[in-house]
Amino acid sequence: MQDSPTLSYLVATDVGGTCTDTIVFGSDGGIHIGKALSTPPDFAHGVLASIQSAATPMGLTLEDLLSRTHLFVHGSTVVDNAVLTRDGARTGLITTLGFEDTLHVTRGAYGRWAGLTEGQMKHPVKTDRAAPLVPRDAVVGVAERVDCFGDVVLPLDEAAVAAAVRHLVDDKRVEAIAVSFLWSFLNPAHEARVRDIVAAAAPGTYVTLSSDIAPVPGEYERGSTAVINAYAGRITRNYLTDLASQLATRGYGGATMVMQGYGGLLPATEAADRAVGMIECGPAAGVIGAKFLGDLMGDADVIAADMGGTTFKVGVIQGGQLEYAREPMVDRFHYIAPKIEVVSIGAGGGSIVAVDPVTRLPSVGPRSAGARPGPVCYGQGGTEATLTDVMLLIGYMDPDQFLGGSITLDRAGAVAAVSRQVAEPLGLDPTAAAIGIYRIACAQITDLIREITVERGLDPRDFVLHAFGGTCGMLAAAFGEELSVRRVIIPYTASVNCAFGLISADIAHEYTTTRTLGTPAPAAEVNAIFAQMEARARAQLHAEGIEPGRQRMEWSVDLRYCRQVHEVTTQVHAATPLEPAGLARLVDDFEALYERKFGKGSAYREAGIEMTAFRLTARGLMPRPVLTVEEEGPADPAAAFMGQRPILDLTSGGMANGGIYDFTRLRPGNEVAGPAVIHTPITTIALHSGHLARMDRWRNIVVTTVS
Amino acid sequence: MDPMTFSIIRHRLFRIVDEAVITLKHVSGSAITNEGHDLMVSLYRADGTLLMGGVGFLHHLTSAAEACKAIIRRFEGQIGEGDVYLLNDPYTAALHTSDIYLVAPIHHEGRLVAWSACFVHVTDIGAMNPGGFAPQAVDIFSEGFSSPGLKLLDRGEMRQDVLDTILNMVRSPEMVSLDLRSMIACCNVARDRMGALLTKYTAPVVDEACAALVEQSEQLFRARLRALPDGQWQSRQYLDVQGETARVVLTMTKTDDRLVFDFTGSDPQSRHSINCTKWAALGGLFAPLFPLLCYDITWNEGVIRPVEMIAPEGSIVNCTRPAPVSVATVGAIQSVNNAACTTIGKMLAASTEYRDQATAVWHANHFAIFKFGANQRGGYSIGILTETFAGAGGARSFADGVDIGGEIPNPISRMANVETVEGAFPIRYLFRRRAVDSGGPGQFRGGTGGEMAIVQHRAPAGGIDYVISGKGARHPMSEGLAGGYPGAPNSYVWVHADADADLGAPDRLEAIPGTPQPVSWGVYPLRGRDALYVRWNGGGGYGDPIVREPAAVAADVTSGVVSDSAARDIYGVALAASGAVDLTTTSALRAAIRSARLAPQEASE
Repeated sequence: MQDSPTLSYLVATDVGGTCTDTIVFGSDGGIHIGKALSTPPDFAHGVLASIQSAATPMGLTLEDLLSRTHLFVHGSTVVDNAVLTRDGARTGLITTLGFEDTLHVTRGAYGRWAGLTEGQMKHPVKTDRAAPLVPRDAVVGVAERVDCFGDVVLPLDEAAVAAAVRHLVDDKRVEAIAVSFLWSFLNPAHEARVRDIVAAAAPGTYVTLSSDIAPVPGEYERGSTAVINAYAGRITRNYLTDLASQLATRGYGGATMVMQGYGGLLPATEAADRAVGMIECGPAAGVIGAKFLGDLMGDADVIAADMGGTTFKVGVIQGGQLEYAREPMVDRFHYIAPKIEVVSIGAGGGSIVAVDPVTRLPSVGPRSAGARPGPVCYGQGGTEATLTDVMLLIGYMDPDQFLGGSITLDRAGAVAAVSRQVAEPLGLDPTAAAIGIYRIACAQITDLIREITVERGLDPRDFVLHAFGGTCGMLAAAFGEELSVRRVIIPYTASVNCAFGLISADIAHEYTTTRTLGTPAPAAEVNAIFAQMEARARAQLHAEGIEPGRQRMEWSVDLRYCRQVHEVTTQVHAATPLEPAGLARLVDDFEALYERKFGKGSAYREAGIEMTAFRLTARGLMPRPVLTVEEEGPADPAAAFMGQRPILDLTSGGMANGGIYDFTRLRPGNEVAGPAVIHTPITTIALHSGHLARMDRWRNIVVTTVS
Repeated sequence: MDPMTFSIIRHRLFRIVDEAVITLKHVSGSAITNEGHDLMVSLYRADGTLLMGGVGFLHHLTSAAEACKAIIRRFEGQIGEGDVYLLNDPYTAALHTSDIYLVAPIHHEGRLVAWSACFVHVTDIGAMNPGGFAPQAVDIFSEGFSSPGLKLLDRGEMRQDVLDTILNMVRSPEMVSLDLRSMIACCNVARDRMGALLTKYTAPVVDEACAALVEQSEQLFRARLRALPDGQWQSRQYLDVQGETARVVLTMTKTDDRLVFDFTGSDPQSRHSINCTKWAALGGLFAPLFPLLCYDITWNEGVIRPVEMIAPEGSIVNCTRPAPVSVATVGAIQSVNNAACTTIGKMLAASTEYRDQATAVWHANHFAIFKFGANQRGGYSIGILTETFAGAGGARSFADGVDIGGEIPNPISRMANVETVEGAFPIRYLFRRRAVDSGGPGQFRGGTGGEMAIVQHRAPAGGIDYVISGKGARHPMSEGLAGGYPGAPNSYVWVHADADADLGAPDRLEAIPGTPQPVSWGVYPLRGRDALYVRWNGGGGYGDPIVREPAAVAADVTSGVVSDSAARDIYGVALAASGAVDLTTTSALRAAIRSARLAPQEASE
């Protein structure tokens, strides 16, 4: 596409574990894609390379593109990476005297088993906690106490705080201090005082207060959040500052917006002090991208599945609403921050396929050959058969047409490896073994998605499935059929879905006030709680240049049945501020939602209902990308037909002659019937007999089961 | 059979149990089920034998199998599609009355093909003390409602008269009703998902896979046993209650591919409710056996076949009706857990190949404390102190035990936040932390237990009450292994406040002003400015403490889990003022400990 000097651009770059993806969206509706390898720990380098790779085909230099960019939106794994590689600051913790072990004791066994597979949980002798971010001797307790009403029971021992700061800074050489006191989310005065004392005694020390970063109940998780934030704080701040200056040097004069785990954007200056907010923001953006497409296509219920080289990730959008994680973790550390739920398992194209020597059960993953050495058929030194090698054996990959023919796949190597690892131990021929592995991979994904939807009280049959990533297209039609989803969609932007999500997000701030109120409660009391948060939110959005017309205030309330543990965040649908009827509707909505989530008969009305937290999402609406729409033409896909070869047709149970199609030559309206495969530049879409794929007017591939 | 189909069906059975557990936790919103994971869901074959055990309280896997069999015997010929049965009689199959089993047949095309079973610890069962554990009970008749088997749902329809009768006998009928509903929902999910599996793969194929799964577990377990050395290993457990000490003696004999657990020599049944029935003792053996010996084998009937138990009639591990058993799960059963962990650990430690699987005893001694009373928000609260689920990990042959790391028979429990408890009960914690010197010393140290103290706080009635079934304050119960010492015992102290003392900010027992009085068994008040202090046991150590890496001892002292005196007297490690190891003195101390051990001993006691 030719560049015109009158165009302006929105640039979005997502730094993932392996790749850094860029999507450039022009004021003419044009979409341009860039990709580069991620470059930890100096991620900015990969960001520039990725933008460059988008600019070059546009006929622009990096500087040209950036100087005409009006907004840069960014997501990055910088925080995840700092925690996973233990590359953060030397951090200390100041907490309530008598509770110094709370962080390290992790609510008992919880921190020992959380984040493990079920197989690992069944083997407790070989389980331990993760190595902590704060050594135990850098935790200091000081006398102070607030009670469950927020009242001070014991005043803060300020002399003890000063001594603790000296000890941590002088003896323990900490660079960052987290502060977490009991009940501080109800009364943050003691924590705030500690911040002042640190600022006076050790200026330059990075401080995170638990009442700031996670003003919610649960001292273990709140304290852990403060620790993670303090630990990764300076790295995050330095990274975002450095990136901004590198972009500025190359001609960019606008603001940078940073994606948060809850799917909203924050200006970089604010994001810099909320490191925990950036955790897993890439996958969250992926779900936002799926929601954008779902909204566009009129699908309110979407399962977003992303399968690349190492992991299978899945998120759920229900009734146009996002699902938030109840107990988010990074590495194996718990934290509390609003975060879109994305569940992942170790299953991807690089997953090693094997037969267990003890049980003789064939399996896929969780071990992975990763990007290096990768699958055997890539010929990069991989010797263990992977799911990708299996895909080659069942005809889903063309040995000569992989990545535009840049690599010739080693079929003989793949056959030998699958034979050695699976076929011979089971006494099967290699093709039969490969078919079996494909069935197992489908079944495992089906089981996972079913469990995730069941956990939320959802029925997969009500959903459409979006398939992203390089491996998902080969399996999605098959497991989509087994789940009986309404249809499977492989979006046009599937290869850069997370970056696509970045450009379809709004600025969003999340506020929470924790207070317990029985129902029915006076509407005025609820309104007063929200009024306080709204005032803060409007001031914040105003400071960010969002005029009142683009501000949206969304209220929600956590409710629960008394004496029950499950709290359900329920959206306020009535007009705000609330009238008594609107508040009554909220309680009704909660009851309906509770039964949907936790099952018929789970409601415990006899005990009464109480509100426990009040949540405000304050949005600053961003312009939405307008995607180019094309007329749908005739169904005949002959122009994209490339020939036939034997491929697995699961419906008939074996190999069958299937049509081979070139995605780039398909036109909107074209239909392809299975058994067939469609090769796209980044993946293969496998269709079994009974499946019909159609290219829609946005060039998405929509697969339905017709028989 | 086709290995791919076998693999898929096995995985799906696993997930069915998982989904049923999720449903159970969802519908029951109770803390003991959700935080403590005090639950179990498993699948059984048509004859009631175990097919697929889930991760939950593992001593229920075999007992629920017996519950299925008892229901089959009792209702032969009358078992209909959609029926759900209830059983909670310990002399028939259950562990104690408050752990209710719901057992449900799974039919396919009109034929009974499998069973699902689940349990939760219900909020109350109408025993003489609230909450299910009844330390004051004198017999099974004072331990509440118990049924050897009744039909709760008849072809999908609730038998309302039966339900109402049960709810009429318990203190918190709404909560118990919810507990029962959660289990019914769990049975429904298991039945629906099994139905879908049977429809997709047909009943004969699923049955063949199930038979193969049991067969495979048996073969794998027997092969593992053959790889382990033959021999005989012993363990003795001492439980003290109210000044009386009861012994559980276990001799485990391994011959070729068989294991015999023999409790001959154990004490006669107690007048206290710590006894257990034979089904409970069997469950108590298997709870550690599954994760210690079969961590990579499906937990089913195949694992049970090579094992035999001998439990003398009328003993504390096979009591005779109407002996009281309501504290069994934290009484005799837990001692059986501990003893089996030790004998299995000794066997594993005797094998070069399997030594890294050996572990000293984890969390040997629950302390069931149910607190109840009017709360600060105008309601009434009742609930267990979830610290009891936060036991200590035993030391392993390659690493220290996990401090406050849980327990083997219930691998995925957790404890509540202090703020959660203080929000629900009118109490305030003074401290909660790892307890110094609680982890059993060894070359690898046992995980530490914890200690905590609570006072009433703004209680409308001036305080609350609690039921405590606390044993083990006299004898350590978490045995060490391979020369490791046991972990410290539990301690329960009621500190009576002095008339006008200011509480201040005490962060240890000695700093709480007042007069300490040990308490352990019964119902007690927590009022005024009095405090309740609880210390819970550490895990057993592994190996000789005087060969522990001196730097590791120094690190333990620095982080406050080992005292200077224990470092010196038990580990033989001397530390300089800086906290660094004094190597010269350490060598001398260790040499002295060695020669003292080798010196002729006076006969003691």
